[in-house]
This record gives sequence, structure tokens and C-alpha cells, in this order.
Amino acid sequence: MYFLNLSLAQFLALFGALSATMVLLYLLGRSRRKQVVATLRFWVAAEQPPAVHKRKRIQQPLSLILQLVSLLLLLLAIAQLRLGARLATPHDHVLILDTSAWMSAASGNRTLMDEARDKARAYLKTVPAPDQVMLVRADALTTPATPFESNRAKLEQAIAQSTPGATALNLDQALAFARQEQALGSGRPGEIVYVGPGRITIESHSTSAPLPKNLRVLETTDSTENCGLLKIGVRRSAADPEVWDIYASVRNYGTAPKLLTLALRFGGAPAGARKFTVPPSSEREIAFAWRTRAAGSLEANLIPHDRFPEDDRAVLELPPLPSLNLTVYSDEPDLLRPTVTAIPRVQATFRRVEEYRAEDTKGLVILDRFRPPQPPQGDAIWIQPPDEASPIPVRARLEAVPFDHWCSDDPLCAGLRTKDLRLASTYVFESAPDDVKIGQVQEGPVIVARAGKNKTVVFGFHPALSDLRYELATPLLFGNILRWMAPELFRRSAVAAGSAGTVTMQLDPDIRPDDVRVLEQDGAPLPFTTRGHTLRFFSGTPGTVRVLAAERETVYSLTLPELWDSKWGVPAGTRRGLPAFHETASLSRDLWQVLALLGGLGLLVEWLLFGRAEGRVRRFPARLAIPRRAGVRKAS
Amino acid sequence: MLSGPLLERQFLEKLERLTIHWQKSFNGLVGGHNSSRFAGGGQEFLDHRHFHHGDDLRAVNWRAYLRLEKLFLKMFQVEPRVPVRMLLDTSESMNSEGGFKYEYARKLAAALCYVGLVRLDTITLQPFSSRLGEGIRCGGGRHRFSPVMEYLSGLPAQGRTNFLEVTRQFISSHAQRGLLIIISDFLDDSDCERPLQYLADFGHELLLAQVWSEEDRTPPWVGDLDLVDAETETRLRLQFDESARAQYTRAFDAYAGGLQQVAMRNGGRYVGISSATPIEDIVFGSLVRSRVIA
Repeated sequence: MYFLNLSLAQFLALFGALSATMVLLYLLGRSRRKQVVATLRFWVAAEQPPAVHKRKRIQQPLSLILQLVSLLLLLLAIAQLRLGARLATPHDHVLILDTSAWMSAASGNRTLMDEARDKARAYLKTVPAPDQVMLVRADALTTPATPFESNRAKLEQAIAQSTPGATALNLDQALAFARQEQALGSGRPGEIVYVGPGRITIESHSTSAPLPKNLRVLETTDSTENCGLLKIGVRRSAADPEVWDIYASVRNYGTAPKLLTLALRFGGAPAGARKFTVPPSSEREIAFAWRTRAAGSLEANLIPHDRFPEDDRAVLELPPLPSLNLTVYSDEPDLLRPTVTAIPRVQATFRRVEEYRAEDTKGLVILDRFRPPQPPQGDAIWIQPPDEASPIPVRARLEAVPFDHWCSDDPLCAGLRTKDLRLASTYVFESAPDDVKIGQVQEGPVIVARAGKNKTVVFGFHPALSDLRYELATPLLFGNILRWMAPELFRRSAVAAGSAGTVTMQLDPDIRPDDVRVLEQDGAPLPFTTRGHTLRFFSGTPGTVRVLAAERETVYSLTLPELWDSKWGVPAGTRRGLPAFHETASLSRDLWQVLALLGGLGLLVEWLLFGRAEGRVRRFPARLAIPRRAGVRKAS
Repeated sequence: MLSGPLLERQFLEKLERLTIHWQKSFNGLVGGHNSSRFAGGGQEFLDHRHFHHGDDLRAVNWRAYLRLEKLFLKMFQVEPRVPVRMLLDTSESMNSEGGFKYEYARKLAAALCYVGLVRLDTITLQPFSSRLGEGIRCGGGRHRFSPVMEYLSGLPAQGRTNFLEVTRQFISSHAQRGLLIIISDFLDDSDCERPLQYLADFGHELLLAQVWSEEDRTPPWVGDLDLVDAETETRLRLQFDESARAQYTRAFDAYAGGLQQVAMRNGGRYVGISSATPIEDIVFGSLVRSRVIA
């Protein structure tokens, strides 16, 4: 017999204080009441009752005893008096069910997940009925599936709904979560039970962290004979942008060397295959090259398949090679041909001035010294336009003027250097404050760039008809202009297939963290951290993540499952297997309902006997005299 | 002092159809001896008689003279004007247990005053406790009711009851007989039946309205009681229980019965009024049934 809510000392203190208060109130309630009345003539007693000599004498001891006993019973109910041993009280258990990606591996004709579910159900059957169990699903994230629950049907339903995820097990996090939940729970901490094969990643496991003493392990047997793709990286060749360099990393998790074939298919057609042998517990990198300008899906297959086929196949979406359509309207196309054709990915078309159509100018156009009937509908580079047709007003026309300087603080002018450059004839423009003055003479800007819905660059002179044609700055200037007008043309793309979970990426040294964006498949931003030049983000589910860092774009196809690095060694002394709980819980019975009922009944009886029908207890009946008509006197 | 009006307007409107009644025939009290809005004779024709020397020529029936060539005098019925006096108990006993009983008594007095004013009666209202206090004389119609309300609202309850002294003062100051309404709890330490008998013997018609609170008749307390008299502050300690309560109520009822006997024996009326009963029920119930008003 013990109290669940209060200690004995607390109970005695509480009962003492309340009973003392009750006795005082009782004595106060039975004390004489002072009352002002209109007259005393009807109260006059023929025989005065003796003044109560002992005012604090208990006059109705049965009433007081009933009240005290009722108070005692109610306090016992509040303290939750229980019959039985304290150890037999219900416990709160936490059942950690491994839902890592490895749990979908086959074990015989079943999966590891099936086996783990069976063991979890078996554990539930051994737990005493009053105990509560919380089901926690553990992979890289720890997710509680139920609160502390005594309804076994709900728990079994949650177990049945548990499926393998895409990430590896983070056991330390799951155990810490279980301990925290038990500490915050209202019941007595029970066991923390881990059900699974115990395959963990080295990164997430800390050997120094102490294991909970109430840990129990229900191991599932697994076979490690598995080979799988760890990651695939695809990037454009530095030598030829039309060639993709493909790097695949394959790991042998088993204990025997494996002869494997990695077959590639692009757009459904075979793109290459290679046979190789992977030593046990080691990795092997395979390189391929594939030439294409088109976009399509690249599929990598590892043959033969094994017990865990999820990591034998990866699919990547390769983007097309970006290109820019440039139309040059000029009567002297040979002047600009060397400059614009020297830039790769630019598809230049040369047309005569008479062929100009505004509706054909949706791409980038170069207008060489003529006035178009309608302005172009897209981005345009105007070279020495007529005065009245210039998109930027002409302030003056100068002859034989020395070139003064290039702008210094804009990417449009990056790397531009000239010396003793003279311009035979040039316009000086009236630029707006937001315009970029790329090149200037003493009197004002001669090359101006204007941003807006359509980007525009205006030359006040022809670069191929001036001394600028001998300068290295000319192709660089056009390169800068094209980079400003069509930045996607210069973006470097890379595609990688990896596993869901935490992804780490090295950034270029010149990239600022503010220029980095990480986007999910639907374009929603994904949280990330940067430390130094290392970017990290986490994706708990398979999918595609794009990382944009200045001119570099990396697309992560996180379709491979995250697998384990090593097996967790269960420390000696840790309880294993199904427990054998003593069914003593049935002997522990709550009495508070009965005690509360008895306490309430006691108070009711006391009120019936001494409260409501106070007159029935006639211990001191007053004897009153009816005053006679004559000689009525006032008593005093 | 009361925070709101003693009587509501709706209640006053209901009172307008009532009249104060008296039963006795008071010798010589016909002809408008007391002040009234109507000076002189009555308005209602009663009979004819022969003209005598000295009669008022304005009462001659000139039409009868033209037809019969004889002088006839028209006689009019004169409405009797009996003095109505009201004594209101303002002793401390009326103010015990929260003063509800005293407020109730003031409301009753105000209601009766209004009934009298509506019927053009003149009413003298006087407070009393150990002595007869300075009262208010009201008459002349319902529009004179406002001073009565103000007077009653500001009337404090104090002093101890002395019916004998009050009776002595009343008889000496009001020689004219009339209707005497006494609103009181009649809880005098001395016997109050004898002073009431004196008043009846002097020819006054008594209308006794005994107002009591429920605590006066049926005390709710039990156990050890330390009782203090509201007027004399005399103390009494006793044990009180159900049987004692029954005896107490019997004693109270016997006392009230004695008062009723005094009233009935002298041609007066008695009304026992519990302050727990709404004033409207009393006016249109007990007072109408006992023919105090009709």
C-alpha cells in the first residue's frame, strides 16, 4: 500500500493542517451567535439556560468525527492510495522502430522491415496492460508515431504503417529523444526498446555518449552482401562543352569481392557499359564520357541486382547545352563576324539591313549603323546608330578624340584595358543616372548600357572601324556584354545523383554566401548553412534539389537511399530479446474512487444529521415562556 | 435616506381608484370643518324646503318661484370631512435586521397618503417613537404628494417605543375625533394595548397596521444565541431550537391577536402585514378585504 501522488510526510502535514482548521471552524461554528432583534419580549425564557461555561467544549462529537473521517478519506483519494507494490505501477516505454533505408533489404523472402514489425508486435504483447508505449520511427530523423498509448490496437496499427525511409539510422538522436520523452512523461520511465539491425552511419554516431540503462535491443538479422551506387556525378567537360564527364562511385558492403557491370542508358538508348570488380568493404569509381547537346535522362544500372536493389539504379536529368541566337543586321557583316563567331554557344546569323523585321528580333540583335523602322522587341546592341534613331540621346559628335577610360566598378568592364586609343569619329551620349557608362571620352560616355525590360548597349563608334579592332579588349568587351545580357549562357551545370539526408557541397572561393540559393523541385527555397566554402543542406525525402551559386548550377538528384557505414556494437550488459514482465500490475489497484465516494458519503450523512436537520439532535432544548399579557418583562 | 423613490409611478396609478373608508359616525363632522379645496356647501342636490328669512338668496329656486309664486330653497348634500391621521412608528425596532421593515412601513404610509390625497382628504402624518414627532399635513389632491414622499424618505428611525407617552401627547394635541391609522410593529416593552384603548375611548376610530418581518415572527437562528434588543440594547443569552421557535411563534401570534381584539372591540380594524409580502398585494389584498380602503 502506498501513495502515488504524495509522500507520507506530505500527507500527514496536509491532513494535520486541514483537520486543525476544521476543528477550529467547528468550534467557531458552535460558538454563540450575536443577533440584534426588534424585541426580547417573545424570547424571555422562564428558565435561563446556564451560560455555556466551556465555550470550546465539543458539543456534537459525532459530527466532528464524521467530518474528520470524511476529510481523511478525501485526502487519501487525492493522494491516490493504491494497494500493491510500488514496482508494479504502470511504466512508460519507448519503442524505437528502425525505418532507415536499409530496412527494405530482403532477408529470405521477407524484408528486414517485416521482421522488425513482428518483433515490435511481440514486444507489445509482453508489456503489462496498464503500461503505456510510445512508438518512435527512427531514420535520419526521429519521428514519434504515437504518444504514450495504452491502446494496443492503435500501437499495432502504427507499427503496421511504418515503412522504410530514404535515409540512414541516427540512433543517438533516437535514444536521446526517447530519454527526453520519458523524463517529460507523467508515468514512471519504463524501457527504451530498439528494434532493428543497428546499421548506423559513422557521422551520426558518438561513441562517447552514454547509453540509457533501461535500453533493450531486439535485433533483426541481416545479410550485408550488397553492392550499390553511392553517388554519380555528371559535369560538362572542360575541354568540350558538348561532352559530359560521368563519374560513378560503387560500394561493396559485403565480405566477398563482386564482379559487376555498370550500364548507362541515355534517353532509353544504351550509352555505355563497363565491367569491374569491387573488393569487399570498399568503393570503386567508374568514369564515362558521353557527348550530347540535348537534354534527357541518364540511367545508371548496376548488374546483377542483389538483396537491396534500391541502390542499384539511379536516374539523372541532364540539361541541354545552352546557346544564344544572335542576329546581326549589317551591310558589312565581315566587320563583326570574327568577334561574334569566336564565342562558343552563340549561333550567329548575319542579315542585310533590308531584311530587318521587328517581329523577328525576339533574341539578341546587333544593329549596325542603320535606323530600324520599328525598334527590336528583345535585347539589342546598337552600333553607331543615326542621331535621331539612337535609343540613348546623342549629346555631341566628335572627331579625332582620345579615349579616356573604361568604367571600373561594373562586371561589364571586367578586364578591359586599352592604351593611347583614339577614336576617329564618335557620338557622345546623354546617359541617364542608372545607365552604365562602359567607355568614356573626356566629353562624356561613348559606350552606354541600359538595363530594363529589354537590355540595350549603344556604341557611339564602330569598334571594327576604329583603333579598337586592334585591341584585346574588343572580344572581351563583347563577351562581357553577352554575359550581362544572357547570363544563363555562361552558367556551368553539374548533375549529381546521391542519397537523401545531409548533402555537403564545396563552393568556389569567389562565391559569397548571399549569392547562393538552394531550391527544391517545386522551386521552394530549402534551408541551408554555409561554413567557409562548405555548403550543407538536408533533404529527408527523395527528390531533386538545385543549388545556384553565381554562374554555377548543381542539380542533385537525391534518389539513391542513404546506407550505413558500420554496424552498431551493442554494449555488453544491455538487455536483449523479449522481456518477461511480472504480471504484478494486476495486484496494484487504485482505491481513490472508493475513497472519494466514502468521503463524500460521510459529508452527506454529517449534513443530514447535523446540518440540514439540526433540530433533530436535541441535546440542549431551550425552554421558552410565552409572555403573559400582563406583567411582561424584558429579560436581561 | 432612500436611494430611489418610495413608490413607483405604475403603482400610484393603480391606487387612484381606491378610497379610505371609516365606519364610525362622528358627531358634528359634516359641513366641511376641515380645510378643503371646496369651501362652502356641497355640490350634490338633496332636497327643497321653504325659504326663511336670512337664507342665502343664491340657493332660491327661481324657476319654481316663477311657476308657483312661492320661494323654495335648494338644499345640497354636504360631503363629510373626517380628519384622517396617520402615526408611523420610527423606533429602532422598526430598523432592525437591515431596515427593510421600516422601509416597508414608509411605503405603506405613502400609499395610504396617496389614496387620501386622490380623494381630496386631508391627512396628518406624524412619526413617533418615545414621543410624538413633528409631522406633515397634506391635502389638496394628488399633485401635493411629492412633499410627502420627500418627508418620508428623509425620516430617520431612532429612539425606543413608548406608546403611553405618545397617546398622551396625541390626545392632548388632537381633540377632534377622527380616523387614526397606526403603522407600527407594536413591539413596545410596556403594554401597548392600554394606550390603544385610551385612543378608542376618546372616540378615535383605530386602524392598526402591524408590520413585522419574518425574523420577528419566526427567527431562523438555532443554537447558542446572544440576543441584543435593538431599542434598549438589553442582552439575553439562550439556547434556541425548533421547539423553542414554535413556542416563540405562538407567543408572537398571541400578541398580535391581542392587538386585533383591541381594535375589533372598539369598532376599529387590524391588519397584520409581513414585510415579505409585496406592498401591492397588501394594499389590494388585506387592506381591501378588511375594508380599510375600497
